[in-house]
Amino acid sequence: MADIAAQTAPGQTAQGQTAPGQTASGQTAQGRPRRLPGLGPVLATQVRYSLTMLIRNPRALVAGLVLPGALLALQAGKAEHVTMAAAAPRIAGLIAFSAAAIAFFTHANTLVIAREEGVLRRWRVSPLPAWAYFAGRIVAATLLTVAAGLVLVFVAMGMTGLHFSGHEIAGLLADDVLGALALVALGIALTPLITSAQAAQPMLMLIYFPLVILSGEVGSITDLPHWLTTTMTYLPAQPLVDAISGVLHGGALMSGHDLAVLAGWTVGGLLISYRFFQWDPHRPAHARRPEGSTTARSA
Amino acid sequence: MSAIVVKDLVKRYGGFTAVQDVSFEVAAGQVTAVLGPNGAGKTTTIEILEGFQAPTAGTVRVLGADPRTAGRAWRARIGLVLQATSLDAQLTVTEALTVFGSLYADARRVGEVIDLIDLPEDARTRIGALSGGQRRRVDLGIAIIGQPEMLFLDEPTTGLDPEARRRLWSVVENLTAGGTTVLLTTHYLDEAQHLASRVIVLADGRVAADASPDQLRAMGGVPVIRYRLPASAPQLPASLAGYLDPAKNELSLPSADVTADLSALVWWARENHVDLTGLEVGPPSLEDAYLALVSEPEGVLAHG
Repeated sequence: MADIAAQTAPGQTAQGQTAPGQTASGQTAQGRPRRLPGLGPVLATQVRYSLTMLIRNPRALVAGLVLPGALLALQAGKAEHVTMAAAAPRIAGLIAFSAAAIAFFTHANTLVIAREEGVLRRWRVSPLPAWAYFAGRIVAATLLTVAAGLVLVFVAMGMTGLHFSGHEIAGLLADDVLGALALVALGIALTPLITSAQAAQPMLMLIYFPLVILSGEVGSITDLPHWLTTTMTYLPAQPLVDAISGVLHGGALMSGHDLAVLAGWTVGGLLISYRFFQWDPHRPAHARRPEGSTTARSA
Repeated sequence: MSAIVVKDLVKRYGGFTAVQDVSFEVAAGQVTAVLGPNGAGKTTTIEILEGFQAPTAGTVRVLGADPRTAGRAWRARIGLVLQATSLDAQLTVTEALTVFGSLYADARRVGEVIDLIDLPEDARTRIGALSGGQRRRVDLGIAIIGQPEMLFLDEPTTGLDPEARRRLWSVVENLTAGGTTVLLTTHYLDEAQHLASRVIVLADGRVAADASPDQLRAMGGVPVIRYRLPASAPQLPASLAGYLDPAKNELSLPSADVTADLSALVWWARENHVDLTGLEVGPPSLEDAYLALVSEPEGVLAHG
């Protein structure tokens, strides 16, 4: 299984040792040295590239912006006198809904498709460090999530007439960043379990819909069993809804519990990805060599 | 100086041996074609050279480094066209080349690469809207934008129409003229003949032949009489008719006795007033030689 560690450090093995036949500077024992660009510009290009890919994906815009925006407008249109206390859970839920659509569902889906179409294989053999590829994707998904969250805030202000203070907007967006990071990490960690591009959407929907519905993102759910409501507080969506809602009620940025849950999913998701992430397309069983080899193409 | 050194390479998948004791070296600047039927071990060998797979036994060095552990600086010296096209369909040609070009300090200019791959009119077209041949050329553009010293081409023209193949060949010829080492796998014998100065034939995971295309043709057995018949030519005599390719209307006769076979052909031509312009006698084609090699029970005919 190819993991991120397999090609992490430039000029070095995953353990940080200089590879045989190479000097520490990256010059091979034979041939001329090659200058490499600084990692800052490389990372900036990766963020721009990943952002372009996400923006050109209709799913990100429809599920992450148009749908929650429309739901917000519909709900705001029904009420005559809107108060922040009444609107905060709805607004928080739809911002979290948008975050889950972009940072989890769309991002993980596009990652599986890129793997199955061989795009990741191409990146793997390029001089791009693996961490920079993922950093670009994570930053881009987070930026788009925050941008969508900001648009939803403006939609909410326009439709309800409510006023959001600068402190509330900043706090809400900070929560959105933490939620997006947790959702992106969860999505990346799940991709090794998804074995084809066709399976990506249904498998991710199996997680996405319960996550957004049970956490009350698209409307409050009552009469859930206690064990289920407790479980939801340990998944990434509910803490994000609670944190944004808390900020809109004038509370703290995030409770310690919610922060711990989101941080846990972020770190845990990235650690699982570091160990199990796959760069190469899965191959159907009939195309594999005996003993489950992963290299059966025309051998 | 060798760009590639492969020594006693073995690759097993459980009980199946895909590559068995393969050894060869490729000199810097050389264009080498690796040929072989499906299952011969050529893709396994090239994937080991690219660093995708680890060998079961043996040693591999590419530009002096072990591909499995070589780092970013080594990868900056390598260019790859993978067996399947692997591009983001949403990017334009220019965007794809720009993002990959940003990985190299001394990358070719994007405009230069677009000219090299002959896609100036589609520079702003999204890759998803390009034809298969155009996408393959973008693949090649990405492979060469970092000015690689070593270029792996894994079946680069499979599925392309003849015109697209010729265009891609001319790009590769431009690169090799500049000293780039190329390792090419292909199913097309004419491609190997056209591009490569050396051919390694793999069969059943072993090196069945390692020679120049001309040497390989000479190894392929008896001389061949070739003659493209005019459209109005009458029926060939029975002794020759079995060697006529009806699709090309071309006679291709492996001949152990050239004098006797030529006499029969000349007699038929004289009797029927057929012009023999274009008649050739020579060694077998690369395809004939290749087919003779891969159908040999023991496989190994020669090592060059």
